[in-house]
Amino acid sequence: MDEVTPPASTATPPPDPAYGPAVGRSLADKEKLRELEGVAADKTARDYQHIVLAYGVLWALFAGYGIFLWRRSARLRADMNDLQRRLDQRAR
Amino acid sequence: MRKILPDLCLLAAMPLLVYSVHRVFLETPIERQMGTAFKIFFFHVPMGWLCMLMAVICGVAAGVQLRRRSAVAGAVALAAAELGFVTGLGVLLTGPIWGSATWGTPWTGDARQVTTALLWLVIAAYLLLRHYGPRSSDRLAAALAIFGAVNVPIIYYAVKLWKTMHPSTGVVASLPPEMWATFWPGLIALALCTLALFGLRTRQLVLADELDAAWVRLDDNL
Repeated sequence: MDEVTPPASTATPPPDPAYGPAVGRSLADKEKLRELEGVAADKTARDYQHIVLAYGVLWALFAGYGIFLWRRSARLRADMNDLQRRLDQRAR
Repeated sequence: MRKILPDLCLLAAMPLLVYSVHRVFLETPIERQMGTAFKIFFFHVPMGWLCMLMAVICGVAAGVQLRRRSAVAGAVALAAAELGFVTGLGVLLTGPIWGSATWGTPWTGDARQVTTALLWLVIAAYLLLRHYGPRSSDRLAAALAIFGAVNVPIIYYAVKLWKTMHPSTGVVASLPPEMWATFWPGLIALALCTLALFGLRTRQLVLADELDAAWVRLDDNL
């Protein structure tokens, strides 16, 4: 009786010694990693909001004090001009 | 030279500020435990140091004012108190923002937070007395300022004396070199800004005193 040879497409090719078996992260691990990366990215984004808020507060305080000084300066200058005017009037 | 010193300080601070912000956001690595929020450290800590420096200057100047009745010392004390108020408010606002990012709560009531808040309240009381109190309240105001200055070492050593969530006193010295290189430009820039504003305000207060005296002399001569 003749031996039946399987069709070429179903025949298992001999293993290529140049390639090892595929190893790596399982799908579940990859999903877990992606989830953790998402958590880390959210945390970083939230942290940056906190940093911008903190720096904003600092510079607003300094700017506020700068404006306060500027207004005081203007008031002092006006007071000095008044005094000068009064002295000039007296001198006349 | 003394007149343009504050302007020079502000001019020198500008490029340093830009450089410091550039370093904070782009050059400094992210701290392993606290993450990105640690970057608040580079402005929060200098503000704390400057607040303590201003409180000490205010206390010493108030002591001199009390002893010698010096108007210039009074102006120095008042200017230092105002800047201590501003920098103290900066510390008390940025601290809880950082705390809420890393500790999960803005206020834990630990010793350093409480003592810093106490210093800020003392400075606020001093300012209220100086601005709205009668002339006779100068002594009480000076005593408050001295009390504030005495509070400074307590704030510094609070982390050693009591259990707190704040890092220990040697945290700046233990920074890695790349964080160290970010911390100093920020500190120097903020210190220059604060000292410039302090110089300008002191000069303003001295000038206001002289103007008041000139008005009184003018009215007396009429």
